[in-house]
Amino acid sequence: MRHIVRSAMCLFAIVSMASPALAGNALITPGTPVSVAKSGLTVTPDREWNKLGARPGRNSETWTLDGDELNGLNFYGGIQSGKTLFREVSKRTKPLPHFSTTMLLTDIPEFLEDSYRIALGTSLFSIDAIEPVQFLGTKAVHFVYSFRRDQEDISRKGDATATIIGGKLFMITFEAPTVHYFGRDIESYRHLVGTARLATL
Amino acid sequence: MIRQVFARLFLCVFLASISTNVAAQEKSAIKEAFVLQPGTARILLFRPKIAVGSQSTAGMFEPNADWTTQARENLGAALAHAQQSLGNEVVVYGDQVGPKAEQLAEYQSLFSIVAQSVIEFKFFPGNRLPTKKRQGVFDWTLGPGVADLAANTGCRYGLFIFTEDQFGSTGRKIFQLFAAMGGVGIVSGQHKGFAGLVDLSTGELLWLNADLAMGGDVRTPDGAEKRAIQLLEGFPGRPAVAGTLQP
Amino acid sequence: MKKRLAAVAVALAGLAAPGATAVPELPPYAEAYQPQGTDERGIWMLADEDERVLRDSKFLIGDPALRDYVTAILCRTVGRDRCHGVRIYILRVAAFNANMTPNGTMQIWSGLLLRVRSEAELAAVLGHEFAHFELRHGLAGFRHQRAALDIAAWAGFLGQYGGAVRQGAMGSIYQFSREQERQADLLSLKYLKQSPYSAQAAAHIWERMMAEADATALGRKQKSTRYNRVPYFATHPTNLDRATYLADLARDVPARTEGDAAYVDRVGTWRREFLADQLKLNDFGGTEYLLGQLAASGWSADLLYARGELYRMRGHPRDLAAAADFYRAALAKQAELPEAYRGLGLALLRNQQRAQGCEAIQHYLALHPSAPDAAMLSTMISQ
Repeated sequence: MRHIVRSAMCLFAIVSMASPALAGNALITPGTPVSVAKSGLTVTPDREWNKLGARPGRNSETWTLDGDELNGLNFYGGIQSGKTLFREVSKRTKPLPHFSTTMLLTDIPEFLEDSYRIALGTSLFSIDAIEPVQFLGTKAVHFVYSFRRDQEDISRKGDATATIIGGKLFMITFEAPTVHYFGRDIESYRHLVGTARLATL
Repeated sequence: MIRQVFARLFLCVFLASISTNVAAQEKSAIKEAFVLQPGTARILLFRPKIAVGSQSTAGMFEPNADWTTQARENLGAALAHAQQSLGNEVVVYGDQVGPKAEQLAEYQSLFSIVAQSVIEFKFFPGNRLPTKKRQGVFDWTLGPGVADLAANTGCRYGLFIFTEDQFGSTGRKIFQLFAAMGGVGIVSGQHKGFAGLVDLSTGELLWLNADLAMGGDVRTPDGAEKRAIQLLEGFPGRPAVAGTLQP
Repeated sequence: MKKRLAAVAVALAGLAAPGATAVPELPPYAEAYQPQGTDERGIWMLADEDERVLRDSKFLIGDPALRDYVTAILCRTVGRDRCHGVRIYILRVAAFNANMTPNGTMQIWSGLLLRVRSEAELAAVLGHEFAHFELRHGLAGFRHQRAALDIAAWAGFLGQYGGAVRQGAMGSIYQFSREQERQADLLSLKYLKQSPYSAQAAAHIWERMMAEADATALGRKQKSTRYNRVPYFATHPTNLDRATYLADLARDVPARTEGDAAYVDRVGTWRREFLADQLKLNDFGGTEYLLGQLAASGWSADLLYARGELYRMRGHPRDLAAAADFYRAALAKQAELPEAYRGLGLALLRNQQRAQGCEAIQHYLALHPSAPDAAMLSTMISQ
């Protein structure tokens, strides 16, 4: 019986995921500004990146060099009030928190932390540093975090830059295993953040 | 990374596609121009990472202690035996304690993440990364820090092995039934097996066998033998043996 | 070996009578079977690998004082003979769960330590797990090629893999039947009877866990499917009958020390950490219920602060006002609670009460100038 249910779920998943998962991954070439996350957010890469066909959610997008488990760059282009940061994992049993227009910049790290704790089912998540920065021409928050997933013996680090504009959340995050990858690729992320602009629509 | 949360959905797509597209599914790769002559190198064999469990209705992995124990014994023996066929001198990386054990666990974990990335983004035809699908590109690494593990071993290469078997939740009853009838293994759920050769000075991945649908029921000695053969199939540096591969 | 087998058989026979109204005497303890030397396992040592992984797990709470305290409660519950050789591992997982493997490893999740209100309640849960261990409930069906022996041949059974502790996951490896649950309950009552702890505690926990699951569902506007939500209950199906028969059986037993003040005192600052984990679960209903239960003997500053955080994080306009009140109440109880000023400030700022919010934040920064988010907060209140 469970097999049937799983196969049915599987089939449903295939059908509903068909467009993103099978859309294929695209090459991002360096030098020209590119719009990301179906929004007015643009960045100008200085190297080649791969853009994944599968998205974390509607207004977001993932780039990677070797695979998003090794170096994952996520763009969030205007998450609206009442929406989750990324697609629900299991809405009934593990519902994710919602973004709210009234949130302060200090609420954003908490919002990401809780989303990850619930989605990944881990208690090992810490925000290691928070500082005010400028991003997209306005006051923003920059924070660094680390976490572990319970089936892995490796720790991961993350770096995020975020702000709220027009009541929506704009954020760029970079995550990688602490061993080798985070240190090697963090500069590429920092460069992208430095080139980020928000087109006034 | 967040996408991994939807891993099982991806897997559905993946498994669905391989069933109709078996020929196009790559399962191994080698770094361009990498050659390993038999008898020329010392290989550090790390203890295989083995886990066996069942798949819950939610698609999550639930470890099962007895199955894992059986698999560790059977597969451990089969692989220990199979090392003789690697064509080069094998040094077994002994059990570690404390920080060294932690370091090994980190690299074992990183290896399985890299192998999984290779499957998702190079082997799986529908999902290749543009920068990785170019002719002759096989470019993944564990990072140069892996040299720490090999300090004082005199080994140029390291061999990592990882297996994880998730049996469908009805699998247990079926397994018991068929085991009573003579060991016909029901392969359901997911049966991951990765074997990878790494250059210990740079961390570069030189050769990888990686499959999410491996054969052999690792809970039985015969199944474990079959799995060990499959894992090391095509190992570079193995002397050519006419006829069947033998452990 | 035959002597041990006989002892175990006696122990089991003593539990055979269903629906007994009196709690019979505790049988003498039969030592666990020890493997006779290790077999050749090839080139890697596999023995006790899982426990080693558990010991090295990053999720392990390595506080010896806490572990010793919990161990002491176990020993007082089941007696020195029985608790000798049990190794307790406390893991940082925000869910109610405990389990025990046949080689004597007992795992306890921090969510459980958060939810029990007294030493007696903790004793009841630990006793229950130990009862499964003593009754060798995990062994049925294990196939291992050693000299075929009796039900006590658990050698080689290595316990849960990989320190794999998953929040909300189905924790135990074993599927216990209702009969086994009943046997374990009865045996654990025997432990409690000859311990310094009250046996009535057992029934209370199950009731509160069910109520919490209801509260979680209510908060999410869902129908309550009680037993799936709690990992502990995935393998310990609880029903009203169980809470009832436990209460019945305990009725004749004289009430004894609950040890609730002692418990709160010894768990100490860990409770704040465990509450912090719980608050991050996005479970408003369940957490509100839990806080209310923990505050049964009065709202401490910590609990008021936690409630403030709960409301502030949900963040609806009325929540923000309520949160501010809770933070102020916390500060009234304990003026040296800098985080409460932070919470108060953030709640006020978010609710458009800028002047008051800035004042509270300034107060926080004065008390805690090296706060990790000090620079961020300073920027927010300067304009």
